[in-house]
Amino acid sequence: MAFVFKKQIFGFMDLLRFKKMVPKRRKIMAEAPATPLPATYKVNETAKILHPGYQSATLIEVRLETADMKTYVFETEKPFYFRAGQYATLGCNAGGSEVSRPYAFSSSPREALAKKAAFTVKKAGFFSEWLFDNAKPGDKFVIGDPSGDFCYEPIKDAKQIVAIAGGSGITPFYSMAQALADGTDDYSLTLFYGAKTAADLAFRSRLDALAAQMPGKFKVVYVTEKEEEGCEHGFVNLALVKKYVDGDFTVMMCGPSAMYAFQDKELVPLGLPLKRVKKEANCVGVRDAAPAAYDLTVHIGFDTFKVKADAGETLLVAMERAGLKVPSKCRAGGCGFCHSRLVAGKFSIAGADKRRLADGKFGYIHPCCTYPDSDMEIVVPKA
Amino acid sequence: MRKYDAVVIGAGNGGLTAAIRLLQGGARVLLVEKHNIPGGFATSFRRGRFEFEASLHELNDFGTADNAGDVRVLFDELGVTDKIEWLQIPEAYRVISQAEKLDATMPFGVKAFIDKMESYVPGSRKSVTEFFELAEEIRLGQAYTASVNGNADPKVMVRDYGNFVRCGSYSVNEVLKALKMPKKAVDILTAYWCYLGAHCDDLSFVHYASMVNRYILRGASMPKSRSHEISLALTERILELGGDVLFNTEAVKILTDPKDGGVRAVVLDDGTEIETRHVVANCSPHVVFGRMMDKVPESEVRASNSRKFAGRGFTMFLGLNKSADELGIENHNYFLYDTMDSVAQYDRMRTIKDNSVQATVCLNRALPDCSPEGTCMMYFTTLYMSDDWAKVTPENYYKTKNYVADKMISRFEHDTGAKIRDSIEEISVATPMTYARYCGHPQGVIYGYESQYWDGLMPRLQMMAEDHRVRGLRFGSAYAMRLSGYSSAYFAGDISGRQTVGDIKREG
Repeated sequence: MAFVFKKQIFGFMDLLRFKKMVPKRRKIMAEAPATPLPATYKVNETAKILHPGYQSATLIEVRLETADMKTYVFETEKPFYFRAGQYATLGCNAGGSEVSRPYAFSSSPREALAKKAAFTVKKAGFFSEWLFDNAKPGDKFVIGDPSGDFCYEPIKDAKQIVAIAGGSGITPFYSMAQALADGTDDYSLTLFYGAKTAADLAFRSRLDALAAQMPGKFKVVYVTEKEEEGCEHGFVNLALVKKYVDGDFTVMMCGPSAMYAFQDKELVPLGLPLKRVKKEANCVGVRDAAPAAYDLTVHIGFDTFKVKADAGETLLVAMERAGLKVPSKCRAGGCGFCHSRLVAGKFSIAGADKRRLADGKFGYIHPCCTYPDSDMEIVVPKA
Repeated sequence: MRKYDAVVIGAGNGGLTAAIRLLQGGARVLLVEKHNIPGGFATSFRRGRFEFEASLHELNDFGTADNAGDVRVLFDELGVTDKIEWLQIPEAYRVISQAEKLDATMPFGVKAFIDKMESYVPGSRKSVTEFFELAEEIRLGQAYTASVNGNADPKVMVRDYGNFVRCGSYSVNEVLKALKMPKKAVDILTAYWCYLGAHCDDLSFVHYASMVNRYILRGASMPKSRSHEISLALTERILELGGDVLFNTEAVKILTDPKDGGVRAVVLDDGTEIETRHVVANCSPHVVFGRMMDKVPESEVRASNSRKFAGRGFTMFLGLNKSADELGIENHNYFLYDTMDSVAQYDRMRTIKDNSVQATVCLNRALPDCSPEGTCMMYFTTLYMSDDWAKVTPENYYKTKNYVADKMISRFEHDTGAKIRDSIEEISVATPMTYARYCGHPQGVIYGYESQYWDGLMPRLQMMAEDHRVRGLRFGSAYAMRLSGYSSAYFAGDISGRQTVGDIKREG
């Protein structure tokens, strides 16, 4: 016979103890205080500062940085925080369309705690042109959650960062330099800032002041196409990097795709592993495709909409063009914020497929990087 | 106004399961989820060339087609088993406490486990064998209890499951002491305690034995495409059965009927009112009674106040640019402890400074192809047993996060001898703030209400009927009757879903 478990001298005492469990719990629950339960908790409140979600913001200042770049300074509804280098979406109703775009913060994380945030945007597309020509202090906008991993990561990055900025790609690095200066972060940063001419360099006097303020920690090298006062000229290339930097470093680059392709070739001799090179993703644009207009059926919540989708544009753009309010964040296929369910239709993905494995299997897509190849039907979460 | 037989709040493991059960019972169901994807913690995320598993270390009690565990039986009934590709975990776990010179790797299979234990701890065979006999009787006793919907006949229980009843009121340590198990065997056997989040003086033996027995008896499984695959499979099943699912949609209020105080409607974040008389809330009663309902019975407030939050979660995810072989990472699942005294260890887990416990997984040891060739993925989890993270300000947040991450890496390297730091290609860290934001749980708790002695598995199951105090409102998740863990959450959703089908039928 199997063994008989017994803890007390007589087994029935164990049985009695078992019987008392329910009355005991009943009593503890009935006798606990009737103090009202908290509506929120400290950790959850801190989480709201780290991840504020969408919040309203008032434009309080517009500064012209160069002929085609302006800084837009906002007062936000709530204090929040981010990591220098991160982006957020900026959105509003621009001429009848609900539009938003991801921009890197050009202000410091510390200012965000005081409800102040800035984006510096180059006039280079529908929304940025609209901003440049129309935005004025007092206007209301919506700012999304700080996002992205284009940041200094002390556990894996070298203590030295080589930053390569092309044009408006300067913004995350300007935020990073400010976070270095105020002690938020601690590493050394050498910034190679390329622009067409010296007149196209934004923040120059402030970058110089930051470099003077923290010698040994922050250095800035301006690179213009032709010879100009205080600038290197030509392209940012390996020889130039080697002139200013030695030892182990992590490369962070932010600029147009052509610049990434050029730098990838330049860096080959260094044999850097993948972990030593970070590139900020660029928004997916139009594709070269035979012109075609497809019918796109979109289910949002309990509603269904029928809109037109152009073969050359992403599903996200098609929906926005039709005035639908739909989620978007990175607009580069990677963050998964626009995760939507495919009901029917054929499609192509721009660049590498960055969906989760199971998404392909169960038919989910990221509309921000998906072009229609037929009429399509999708289910999109509300924005 | 839109009308449903039932609204399920939260598409976590319990909510997804409850929705399917309700649909199978003929109900019209709306499932709302505040996040943009289903699963709650059962999800995955991409970083560079890696897709990380967000939370699942291994799915317990699943087994294989010819040695099916209860979760597989449930998934068969739900109609989702074949939608998911399953792989088996190779060995149970490796437990290391350098301070106590303990390093043991335990296999699956009861006999293999007992034999291995005897090799580590000569003289342990009798007590460990008795442990598994007790555990098996508990499993059978629980199956009987479930088969009669919780109304177990005390005479049958005492006659057929006497050992279960006699050990049923004791803690893990009390029973193992009565079995006269050698200390080192106790240390090895209780290594899983951190998966249940209560120390072994507090943790109910029945709960622990039941879990360990299922692990060792049936092995453990993993979905090939991370737990996101399970969550999408369950969602697909809900849609097949005609359920409505809304993502990016938070239920903010539950309106009650002044006549009986029961459920009347659910209000969504955009102000939409959904008429329903039944809700399965896959979230904390603290949240529901703290801010979602305006009229809360005092008994619910008292009951909620009596309970203790279990561990607040912290996980570090690493994508490494070398293979597990190259790095010398030998095992799938490691438990690294300072001390094998779970009471003392629990105490050290209260603060950020003192806590350096970790349950660590190298996913490639279960799924060799889960990351590109020449790479591997790891995740490191710990729990905090107090609200120490509440003291962390936004300005100190990233520094604190990195401090813990750094400590975890050093600890792993020190205890296992594998060197991983220089191979980190991707890193991501989830803290209590992350969990608080992601699933809305108070203080970043990931384990629901703690499995304290008086509030453990047995009394919760026995009091299931009287814990249901508001007409039309039932709970899923780790806060419910089956406590924390993936399998428990699926079962909680299963039970609450089926009970709600019964409630609807009774109303006619």
